[in-house]
Amino acid sequence: MNVLNTRRNDYLGMLVAAVLATYPLAASAQTAELNLPILVPITGFLSLEGTSQRNGALLAIKNASPSVKITSEVTDTGASPEGATTALERALSRGKVSAVVASMLGTQMLAMLPVALENKVPLATVSGTADITEKNNPYVFRFFPGDAVAKGAHVRYVLEELKKKRVALVYQTTAYGQSGRRHIVELLKKAGVEPVMEEALDVSIKDMSPVIGKVQVANPDVIMLHLHGGPSALFIKQAAAAKVNLPIVAGSGLSQPSTVALVEPAELKNVCAEANASPVAGGTPEMDKFLAQYRAEYKTEPDGFAVGQYDATSMIIDAAAKGAKTPEDIRKALSSGSYKGIAMTYKSDGKGNMANSAVVICYDGASRTPKIVKRYD
Amino acid sequence: MLLQILANALALGASYALLALGFVLILNATSAVNFTHGDMVMASGYVAIALFSVLPVPGALLLPLVMAVMAVLGVVFSWLAYFPLKNRPPVSVFISTIALGIVFQNSANAIYGAEPRKGPPLLSEGFFEVAGITIGKQALGIVIVAIVLIAAQHILLNRTGIGRSLRATAQDRQMAEAIGIRVNRMIALTFALGAALAGAAGLMLSNTFFVTPTDGTNYIIKAYIAVTIGGWGSLTGAVCGALIIALFEVLFPSLPLLIPSLEFIAPWLFTQTASTILLYLGLLAIMFFRPQGLFGETVQRRV
Repeated sequence: MNVLNTRRNDYLGMLVAAVLATYPLAASAQTAELNLPILVPITGFLSLEGTSQRNGALLAIKNASPSVKITSEVTDTGASPEGATTALERALSRGKVSAVVASMLGTQMLAMLPVALENKVPLATVSGTADITEKNNPYVFRFFPGDAVAKGAHVRYVLEELKKKRVALVYQTTAYGQSGRRHIVELLKKAGVEPVMEEALDVSIKDMSPVIGKVQVANPDVIMLHLHGGPSALFIKQAAAAKVNLPIVAGSGLSQPSTVALVEPAELKNVCAEANASPVAGGTPEMDKFLAQYRAEYKTEPDGFAVGQYDATSMIIDAAAKGAKTPEDIRKALSSGSYKGIAMTYKSDGKGNMANSAVVICYDGASRTPKIVKRYD
Repeated sequence: MLLQILANALALGASYALLALGFVLILNATSAVNFTHGDMVMASGYVAIALFSVLPVPGALLLPLVMAVMAVLGVVFSWLAYFPLKNRPPVSVFISTIALGIVFQNSANAIYGAEPRKGPPLLSEGFFEVAGITIGKQALGIVIVAIVLIAAQHILLNRTGIGRSLRATAQDRQMAEAIGIRVNRMIALTFALGAALAGAAGLMLSNTFFVTPTDGTNYIIKAYIAVTIGGWGSLTGAVCGALIIALFEVLFPSLPLLIPSLEFIAPWLFTQTASTILLYLGLLAIMFFRPQGLFGETVQRRV
């Protein structure tokens, strides 16, 4: 009897010891916590892109591992730098923030950077503005190709795949447009190509017939566009009306499904665009799954910003699931780790540029669904 | 090429003219600047899209419906933004119109989202080819509709009893009231008329240039400049000012296409960016040297 009791007590003791030994691991796996405010422009001129950001981030949170408890609140930053910094300061004042899904508007990011540095909180964004990762701020992480990558793909496709040399370049007068133009011209120059014609367009310009006329007179063999989404669609539509039968290679503005919906499929013949990814083109099981889930959740088509922010948020959640507890842990995980997302594999270049790949998509003139014709890693 | 460029400029100018006419009508009736007018143009683009989704007929058939909906909206707008504040300083009214404009923008954003949308074409989106010249059907339709509406508005104001009452109210509200004109009713009618014209412009612009919730800001600036160039209070001036803006936006940067030597003399001058700068410098010159505008009254009190 005593022997039996002793053995029973031994087993019980071993069981208790085993439970106690595994408890910290189990507890940590179940209680990994993440406070991840989403501060994006839901209103104002970038609300379309900001909404994509929000949707991508929320979908990633929805798909997160149950082992990570996530607190997240969406705040509209509007379109002003003050709106963004106020939103960030309010989020920081409400408690311990692990990381922030931050606005894709460059001017807002530039305003938020000092606040993030002061409070040592990582910002994950899909802003394309080159300057944000040129400020030596270790707390910014961009999950969207910067101009160096995106315009590199843009120019390489024109020169290497289309083998065109007489380039007409039309770009926007905004910071986005001028930064892209600078990269395009430098890259063309390195290849010994001088644009035969260049013109900048203000975003308020609706009738583009003068610039289209000048493009025709300059006799190029390709048109490169670096315009925002709406103006890209206007240009494509008006160029088709003017019977411009030249290949057009546009910027990422023309990869957004909502932009493409504005033009007829026939007007998209000979039209390509660079992008970080094209969710509507699918291509991988992961992307197809994301596409189906996004459509079901938001009743709209995802764009490159949505998938970029989905990947950014997923990488942060993954870091937390693997034991990153503090904002500094997450910063280290983002700056030194590598993450295979849906669009691409992300790894920092040392400045916070995580996206080092871009694709070129082309339309066939029969539908609005593009095909990925070239990937640049 | 000249004819094509002129056709484009004329179509753009015609849309701007409808926009500016609505703006100046309300300005004359109330002595207050309606900063929501651009947002009314934006809103009518969405009204056209909404109506087209339930009644998929050409825009020309939807036009009266859009104008009617906007006229009602114009009256509601006057009840909210003008009448409660009409005896306060003018600044109250224009602040209230700014506030309602923001309400319009955010409502459109909440209902339709931020992405650009495309309204229905007046008839179809094809082209006419006449003697090698390609002219868009929509562009031609815009010019015709604008001419008809401007003529109708001219007849209404100058050949009808209601028009005379509207003009009397605009010229001297107290005197109009003294001779038995129901001034408030005339002001509400003016809001309806101005909003209806904005509705026509919005329907046509939403197909040619798409529509987004923030477009109103751009349109109110065009209307304001057209009226400043043409002369505060002048209906003819508003139309001419609108055409001048369109000529600067389309014809001026196209001049090197018509006179190739200009491209070699000053290529930087004939861009759409430079022409925008020149337009605003021209506006400043008009304000300095002819503050009443090209067709305006000599004595001005409005701001």
